[in-house]
Amino acid sequence: MNNWQRQHPAAIFISFLGSLKQMIITVIVVFIFGQQADGISSLFFIAFFALILIGSLVNGFISWWRFKYYLKSDELEVKQGLIFRQNRFIRRDRVQSIDINAKIVQRIFGLVELKIETAGGGSEPEFRLVALKRHKAEQIKAELLNRGNDKEINFSEAYLGEISEGMAHTLTPLPEKKREEPVYKWELGIKRLVIAAVTSSGVGIAATFMAAVVSQLPQFLPDWLINIAVGWVIQSSIVYIGMFIVTVLVSAWLFTIVSTVLKYGMFTINKKGEEIHISRGVLEQRQLTLNENRINAVRVVQNILRQPLGYCAVYVESAGGGTKDEDLSTILLPLCRRSEVEELLGEIVPEYAFEPQYDGLPKESMRRYMIKLIVPALIGAGAAAYFVPYGSLAFLLPAAGGLLGYVQYKTAGICSERDYLCIRSRQFSKSEVMLPKRRIQDMEMSQNPLQRLDDLYTITVSVLTTVIGKAFSLKHISAEQKETFMQWYSYEIEESVNPHDMEDEIENEERSRL
Amino acid sequence: MRPLPDRYLAPKTRRVWKITAGFESIFLFLIPAGYWGAAQVWELPMWIFYTLTGFFLLTAVLSIFILQPLKWKRWRYKVYENEVELMRGVFIVERVIIPMIRVQHVDTRQGPILRHYKLASVTISTAATVHEIPGLEMEAAGELRDQIAQLAREADPDE
Repeated sequence: MNNWQRQHPAAIFISFLGSLKQMIITVIVVFIFGQQADGISSLFFIAFFALILIGSLVNGFISWWRFKYYLKSDELEVKQGLIFRQNRFIRRDRVQSIDINAKIVQRIFGLVELKIETAGGGSEPEFRLVALKRHKAEQIKAELLNRGNDKEINFSEAYLGEISEGMAHTLTPLPEKKREEPVYKWELGIKRLVIAAVTSSGVGIAATFMAAVVSQLPQFLPDWLINIAVGWVIQSSIVYIGMFIVTVLVSAWLFTIVSTVLKYGMFTINKKGEEIHISRGVLEQRQLTLNENRINAVRVVQNILRQPLGYCAVYVESAGGGTKDEDLSTILLPLCRRSEVEELLGEIVPEYAFEPQYDGLPKESMRRYMIKLIVPALIGAGAAAYFVPYGSLAFLLPAAGGLLGYVQYKTAGICSERDYLCIRSRQFSKSEVMLPKRRIQDMEMSQNPLQRLDDLYTITVSVLTTVIGKAFSLKHISAEQKETFMQWYSYEIEESVNPHDMEDEIENEERSRL
Repeated sequence: MRPLPDRYLAPKTRRVWKITAGFESIFLFLIPAGYWGAAQVWELPMWIFYTLTGFFLLTAVLSIFILQPLKWKRWRYKVYENEVELMRGVFIVERVIIPMIRVQHVDTRQGPILRHYKLASVTISTAATVHEIPGLEMEAAGELRDQIAQLAREADPDE
């Protein structure tokens, strides 16, 4: 297909649906308020929306008609726009990851969506072709990802245009490997999918959502029903309220189970050489290709349901390929045993396959973790006890907060294993992150006035993820640990100076300057 | 113990910061001014106006004459062969290490106030973060930019 091509005409319909989806909320809002406003007839609204609908249909048609792509030997050229014309070249060596998705709309037509992510902080790091036949999408993917070519790709030249000072080495050039390595395959499997769904931590979010929906319900119910309901709530004891909460939680839980199954069903990893192909999804099929060398960090997360069972999920931070709903990370293993992680990483991303020996925090930080959670809980509990019947029960909260703080302190740990920095921490879920030194963009040590009392520090390191940088930090490490990790990260050869306080030294120097 | 960075910002930066802080305080004074305007129309207690004015006057004085010089005094940096180190912060003291091999590009920048005092700031960008050395003599800033750019180019990418 060495010529200019358009997308499948279904693109018109897909973009039309897209704008319809964006509009529907506006329509509802206008409709609700429009009913109350006199003077404007409903005919006007119908005409208005008809106009918008036709407009977006025409727009969809024009953009399909003007949108053409041309697949060349190592780049994709795209022309689009009627009035403002745009020509775009996507070079193979700038491609970070390629996604082939089949959402429900695409599946109706038997088509796929192709998403290309390119390197660097350009204005549009992401590029989409919304309606393609699968074999065409595969062809583009094969052309743009095929690195086994004989041509030498000179990365420093490729990036010169983008980086003003021409320091291209930050994005590590990919060593060209010509031999095909054996394919490694990993499947999630039904049993694990069910466990993943049942123990998913999305329950909390879904429960909040459900509670919000339920609390909004009275607006749409007739008055007599509300009267009965209010009377019932007032009469009912705490048991009934408890039952209400249980109902909300259970329905939220079922909702998460279904959505997790749909999202991670048929999860498969295929590893070919340096490329990791991930495909997943039941209704919406997603296919993602990551490059092993572009993975900047690996995260092992155990939520409170999975930790006692010994299960965890593994995420990777990669330059390219993250999605919003996964906190801009990419899920690598939705569920596996914690004890298997080292072995599985050994197959998929061998450089991260090791078991870090974490170093705990000094005892001075324990009370900081606890107080931080106890104080707000105490204030809340005080207010609750004053205003709400049975409110004194809320004093269980500070106790729970204190316990969580203690567990957070116990979980927190940091270590450097060869050229890797590993941080273990917890909000609710236990999270371990492994960061290679050469992927850490900078390291920061900070100290607030309260930490100064015990000479504790907060360490923060940044790595590159999809579009923006992402920072990992650990609070309240000891002065000794601070020195160790600064020295570990520093590229300078240390000269030994007598150890003394950072703060003291500032004071001394200030005095000497005055 | 790692030695502290020993280079300071240009002394004139203090004046720039004081001016900037002054402008910020003027914006804050819009709050009591708005209240005064409202008091002209409706019956409102005037003591609130005096309290607000007093409070913002105090914070303005504190910010301009104490906080800014202190901030300057705490701000320091050092360029090593393989890394840049920054240190800053009055209440929260921060130390940042930026290895040369992570530096993507270095710029000098100048706002109108900096230009008036013939100063410039140097920004150092990595793939994930941007850091700024906020006030150096124009010539020194240019030299520093070139020096960092040179060191970054020379840094060994195999490390």
